[in-house]
Amino acid sequence: MNAPTLADTRTRSAVATARENPLLLAGALMALAIVLVAALGPLIVPYPQDAGTAMHPAVILLAPSWQHKFGTDMFGRDIFTRVVYGARWSLGIAIVVLAISVAIGVPLGIVAGYFGGLVDNVIMRVTDVFLAFPALLLALAFAAVLGPSTRNAVLAISIAWWPWYARLARGQAASVAGRGFIEGCRALGVGRFRMLWRHVLPNSLTPIIVSVSNDAGGVILTAAALSFLGLGAQDPTPEWGLMVSQGQSFFATQWWLVTFPGLAIVLTAMVFNLLGDGLREVLDPRRVVGR
Amino acid sequence: MILKIRHLAIDFGARRVVDIETLDLRTGEILGLAGESGSGKTMTALAIMGLTATSGARVVGGSVTLDGRELLHLRSKDLRRIRGSQIAMIFQTPVSAFNPLFKVGYIFTRALRLHGASRSEARTRARVALAEVRLPFDMLERYPFELSGGQAQRLAIALAVALRSQVLLADEPTSALDVSVQGEILDLIRRLRDHEDMAVLFVSHDLAVVAELCDQVAVMRKGRIVEFGAATQVLHSPTDDYTRQLVDSVPRLSALREG
Repeated sequence: MNAPTLADTRTRSAVATARENPLLLAGALMALAIVLVAALGPLIVPYPQDAGTAMHPAVILLAPSWQHKFGTDMFGRDIFTRVVYGARWSLGIAIVVLAISVAIGVPLGIVAGYFGGLVDNVIMRVTDVFLAFPALLLALAFAAVLGPSTRNAVLAISIAWWPWYARLARGQAASVAGRGFIEGCRALGVGRFRMLWRHVLPNSLTPIIVSVSNDAGGVILTAAALSFLGLGAQDPTPEWGLMVSQGQSFFATQWWLVTFPGLAIVLTAMVFNLLGDGLREVLDPRRVVGR
Repeated sequence: MILKIRHLAIDFGARRVVDIETLDLRTGEILGLAGESGSGKTMTALAIMGLTATSGARVVGGSVTLDGRELLHLRSKDLRRIRGSQIAMIFQTPVSAFNPLFKVGYIFTRALRLHGASRSEARTRARVALAEVRLPFDMLERYPFELSGGQAQRLAIALAVALRSQVLLADEPTSALDVSVQGEILDLIRRLRDHEDMAVLFVSHDLAVVAELCDQVAVMRKGRIVEFGAATQVLHSPTDDYTRQLVDSVPRLSALREG
C-alpha cells in the first residue's frame, strides 16, 4: 500500500539489510576499499614522487616485478604509484561533477515538478536542449571549447550531466506533489519554500541517491574518455584515462602501461554500478518484500 | 454564523462546477454537504481554504467570509495564517495526509510552531489534544505508516483541536475507514461540536452517515444546492426529486421511511 521509503529502511538494522542484499554489501565494501586507497594513497605507494614529473631514465618500461608491482612507464615512473594516485583524481572528479550536477539539476527539477505549468515548461525545455545530445558528445564539445585541463573537463562533464538530475527530480517531485500529505501541508498553511525543502525534496531523494551512486561510475568513465582523447587531465597528472592514452603506443610490447590503469577504470565503474544497483534494490518501492 | 458563503462560483475550464447562492455554517453545528461524485462538494470545501488553484479550478465570483472577514482574494501570506489555525481540514485518506518521513510528534510541534506556539506550549497542546481524541501519548513517537487509518484520522482531528481551529472541514473523513472505526470518528466529531464549539462542514456521499451525524444538510447536484434543511427533515421527507432519488438509493434509509 505505502511505498517503503528511507524511513522504513532506517528502522531496520544495517546488518539485516546487508544480509538480504549481498549485491549492496559487495558494492559498498569495494567502494569503501577504493575510497580508502584514494585517501591513504601517500601511505601505500612506494614512490610518491612518481605521481608528478619525476624521471628515472635507468628504469624505463620495466615489466611488473617486486620493486615495481605494475611495472614502469616510458619515463621510468612506477605505475602502481600512479594508479593509486589516479584513484584520488577519478574520485575527486566524480564527486565534484556530481555535486555540481545535483546542486543545479535537483532544485530546478523540484521547482518544475512541484509548480508545473509554465515554470515546468520553461525549465524542462531548456534541459531538453541539453538532453538532445549524448552526454559524452556534449562534454567533448564543451571540453574542446574550454580548452584541455582537468578543471575544464570537470566543468564540461557537469554541463552535460545536470539535466539528467533535473529530469529525474522533476518526475519525482511531480509525483510527490500529488500525494495527500502535500495537500495536508497546504491545509495547515505551510509556505512554498518550506513545502519544497522539507516535504517535496526529502520525499524525492531516494532515486536521486541511487542515481548518484550509479553515475559515479559513468562520470569516471567519461572523465577517462576525455583525458584519453587529450581533452582532460594533462601530463604529469596520474589520471587513468590519460595513462591509457599515453601507454597505447607501447601496448604491443609493454602491455602493463595500458592494462593496469584500464583495469582500474573498469573496476571502479563496475563497483559504483554495483553499489547503485544494490541501493536501488533496497530502496525500490516495487521490490518484493518478504520471501 | 461563523462562515458565510454567498454567490460562490467556481469554474473548471469553461465549465461551472460550483454555483452556490447561500450556505451558512454556525458555531457548534455540523453541516452535512451531500451529493454524488463530481457534484462540487469537495471543491466547495477547497474554495473555503483557498486551495482550488492547485486542482486547476478557478473561483470566478462570490464571497466567503469567516467571522465577517472576506477569505477570497486574500493575499497568500494572510491565507496561510488562517489555514490550520482557524480553519482546519481533514481528508479521506488520513495516513497519506502525513509526511511519511517525520514522526507524528514532529509534525504536531512543527504545525503548532508554524502558527506561533512556543516549543513548550506546542508540546502541552499536543498532549491535551491527544487526550481529547483518546489516543495514548506514545503515538507521537510513531511514523505515519505505523498508524491505522482510524488512528491517523484521530490524529488529524487532534491536530485541528491543538491548533484551536474554529472551523473543521471534513472531506469524506470516514469513507475509507471500516464501519466500527467510522462510528468512533463520528463520535469524535460530535464531541468537537459539543466541547470545542467547532463548526463542522461534513462533506460526504454517504447519506446514512450524514443522517446519523449532521444537524443541517445541504444536498448538492451539478454544483448547485438543490435542497437545504434540518437533517431529519431533508432525509426523511425530501421535497426535491434528486434528494428523493439519493435517499431511495440507500437501503437502510428507504426502509426507515416506509416503516
